[in-house]
Amino acid sequence: MSTREQHSRARRLLAAAAAALTVSAGLAPHQAVAADGDKVLTVAVAQSVDSLSPFLAQRLLSTSIHRLMYEYLTNYDPGDAHAVPALATEWKSSPDKLTWTYTIRSGTKWSDGQRVTAEDAAWTFQKMMTDEGAATANGSFVGNFREVTAPSPTELVIRLKKPQATMTALDVPIVPKHVWEKVGDFSEFNNDKDFPVVGNGPFILTDYKPDSYVRLEANKDFWRGAPKFDELVFRYYKDQDAAVAALRKGEVSFVAGSPSLTPAQADSLKGEKNIHVNDAPGRRFYALATNPGARARNGEKFGDGHPSLLDERVRHALFRAVDRETIIDRVFQGHAVRGEGYIPPRFSTYFWKPAAGQELSYDPAEAGRLLDQAGYRKNGDGKRLGKDGKPITYRVLCHATDPNDKAIGQYLQEWWGELGIGVRLDCLDNVTDPWLAGTYDLAFDGWSVNPDPDFVLSIHTCAALPATPKDTGATDNFICDKRYDELYARQLAEYDPAKRADLVKQMQSRLYDTGYMNVMAYPNAVEAYRTDHIASITTMPEKAGNIYGQDGYWSWWSATPADSDDSAGDSGSAGVVIGLAAGGAVLVAAGAFFALRRRATAEDRE
Amino acid sequence: MTTGTTTKTGAGAAGPRALARQRRRQSAVRFWKRYRTHRAGLVGLVGLALFALVALTAPLTVGTDVSSVTGAPGRPMESPSAEFWLGTDRFGRDLLGLLVWGSRVSLLVGLLAAALSVAIGTTVGVTAGHFKGAYATVLMRITDWFLVMPTLVLAIALATVLPRSLGTVVLAIGVTSWPTTARLVRAQTLAVESRPYIERAKALGGGHWHVMSRHVLPNVMPLVLAQTTLMISSSVLAEATLAFLGVSDPTVLSWGGLLQDAREAGAVSSGNWWYLVPPGIAIAVVALAFTLCGRAVESVLNPRLGVGR
Repeated sequence: MSTREQHSRARRLLAAAAAALTVSAGLAPHQAVAADGDKVLTVAVAQSVDSLSPFLAQRLLSTSIHRLMYEYLTNYDPGDAHAVPALATEWKSSPDKLTWTYTIRSGTKWSDGQRVTAEDAAWTFQKMMTDEGAATANGSFVGNFREVTAPSPTELVIRLKKPQATMTALDVPIVPKHVWEKVGDFSEFNNDKDFPVVGNGPFILTDYKPDSYVRLEANKDFWRGAPKFDELVFRYYKDQDAAVAALRKGEVSFVAGSPSLTPAQADSLKGEKNIHVNDAPGRRFYALATNPGARARNGEKFGDGHPSLLDERVRHALFRAVDRETIIDRVFQGHAVRGEGYIPPRFSTYFWKPAAGQELSYDPAEAGRLLDQAGYRKNGDGKRLGKDGKPITYRVLCHATDPNDKAIGQYLQEWWGELGIGVRLDCLDNVTDPWLAGTYDLAFDGWSVNPDPDFVLSIHTCAALPATPKDTGATDNFICDKRYDELYARQLAEYDPAKRADLVKQMQSRLYDTGYMNVMAYPNAVEAYRTDHIASITTMPEKAGNIYGQDGYWSWWSATPADSDDSAGDSGSAGVVIGLAAGGAVLVAAGAFFALRRRATAEDRE
Repeated sequence: MTTGTTTKTGAGAAGPRALARQRRRQSAVRFWKRYRTHRAGLVGLVGLALFALVALTAPLTVGTDVSSVTGAPGRPMESPSAEFWLGTDRFGRDLLGLLVWGSRVSLLVGLLAAALSVAIGTTVGVTAGHFKGAYATVLMRITDWFLVMPTLVLAIALATVLPRSLGTVVLAIGVTSWPTTARLVRAQTLAVESRPYIERAKALGGGHWHVMSRHVLPNVMPLVLAQTTLMISSSVLAEATLAFLGVSDPTVLSWGGLLQDAREAGAVSSGNWWYLVPPGIAIAVVALAFTLCGRAVESVLNPRLGVGR
């Protein structure tokens, strides 16, 4: 599932409280090893769960948890991300490419003892095809399905309307039919009332408290082998600094790199004993999206994007005044790769970069010329005037919770200021409303890309536009381009991997030329874990890859506990002593202060 | 100013202007003599003068381009050195320069917000004390309502809803912190209005405006002055809080904004104290200086003490 970074509104407002939490955390250490000797792996995450229902969940944390709770038909190889057997042991397509037959693994059981059969898979897909509420999260996968049947307990047959290239990359959790058929309204049911939740993945969900934690227990009967840790806990930290402090103290074993650790945090953790910093190429792109004039499928236009941005020369000029090298060097401090095409270089099959003549390289002088050509000339004050005669000032939508947005926004203000264009940085907790309403000019944008790029490509097609201005479409920023759409349809129907990759590259080239999505960087996934808690863990790709937010359950399933983890208890008790002493000192100081003050005012009163 | 002098003002309206000027000079000298006896007040005053000097001369000492991110002279997050006495920030800008430059916004917002807050508070307080009746009841219930509202939450809500700018922050602080001033001023107004000369003024045909502006206001001014000085320190703190919570304009540089930058860059957990401590100390010192001055002014001008002497 590709997931836009979602930010909790409360996070920033409660930052101060979180700072206090770091202090009080010293008083109540959560030990890495539970009293009964169970091996617990605690992961600090900066995101809260949106829903635990696989039919609704869209956030990275929730979809990662679903990977752990339920088996999918296929999984991705941790080495090179090709499709490998999971619930389906093998699959084949008919000669006309319209019928796919999956053989379902026999002999596996749900955690309540019932057999897992093809009927469960068929029911899951059928539900998504027939119930609008169940299609919320993964509906795009079944849009092209004609019929799904289960002729026998080990055979699943999917018939398509048109060929579909993503049939071995159906990222849909298969749920137990006997549990889920009792659910009434799929758009309301969040799967968080009845624990443990019946599943068949490597972990079983046993407990959940909103905005606090998610607890999973190892599934000892998992067909690929039981996980080595007994328990996996995702603990929610509003503040990344607090999570880092918890890692230092051993209260958590892992700090998720979503959002990435800041360069300062990574540098300071690198010197630390027993802590490993994993700094790997990420699967996200980080872009500057342009409002191309928001519109709906029925042709109605809405929003109030600046009319000058409809001119391709203006979009190119803006991006030619953005120095990507400086962004990598100063803002990411080397923890990112310079942006080129739409898909990050990590997915080498689909990675595309512009040719020398096509590239919108950093050239402020050329940018100025382009703007002059487009008829946006400077006035006496050095400001460029729009067609309405007013100086141009673009509203740039930024996530108030993302420090990188704000930092790059300040650079944009100066770079574009020299071009004679004003920038107003609109940093909001909730960017969704102006985003969907199209009331912005430019915006910071970023998506995680799957091994199969279909989803992130689909969000720029005309079909993804909202049906009417009142609806919400799957579209990212209202791009609708005929040539792009043609290429999209062709790649989706192309079964030859090389030909499909070529089409995907052509799409990226087209997208690049339109200047609607300007990729500035591919941020690294910077995360850290305690080597005295976790002896080894699989990254994906295995050579230099991320751990949190993988396309699969490899990291948590493969994590092996370290033998000697008795130091956690010691540091915990030391923490208690220090915490108590500090707390006592503060109380004494406060008492003395107030006593003195009282005396002072008493004197004053005379 | 005491009751006696005010009465004289009313009676000697025909007197020459020079007399009034002379009397004002005398009272200023008297004020300064008494103020000088408060050592803490003097310390605060010196501190304030220093900060004012730093803020006003910032364009000459550090230059306007100190906050430019593209022209940052250093590497990001450098520790203190001979070149950068307080190290550099996340863009590689000189933190000492930023600290000096940030004083302008912090002080400006502090002053404006305090002025706004006291202006609202005084208007509400004087009118409520003067008119009494239903008008005063309604006004004071509104005041009570604002008084029990958590100021910070209200200010955050306001700053979130309105467009992000300095004016918004000033407004958010100003309109949330006036109730204490209103209550104080109203109490003083009631005390003043109960004195016989007000009755005399009314008997001689003094209207509402005359009584409020000529008799009540001069008598509550000392209180307002002291309250303003104290209010500035809390406004500086409030500005820093709002900027730290990120509800002000992120491109405007202030001390609270520096703290917010430091937190977002992860300076807390990586131990880069030079990013956090100087703006924190600056905020504390300015707030302290204003408080010391305010206290001193208050005790010099306290009307209760003045009547006794």
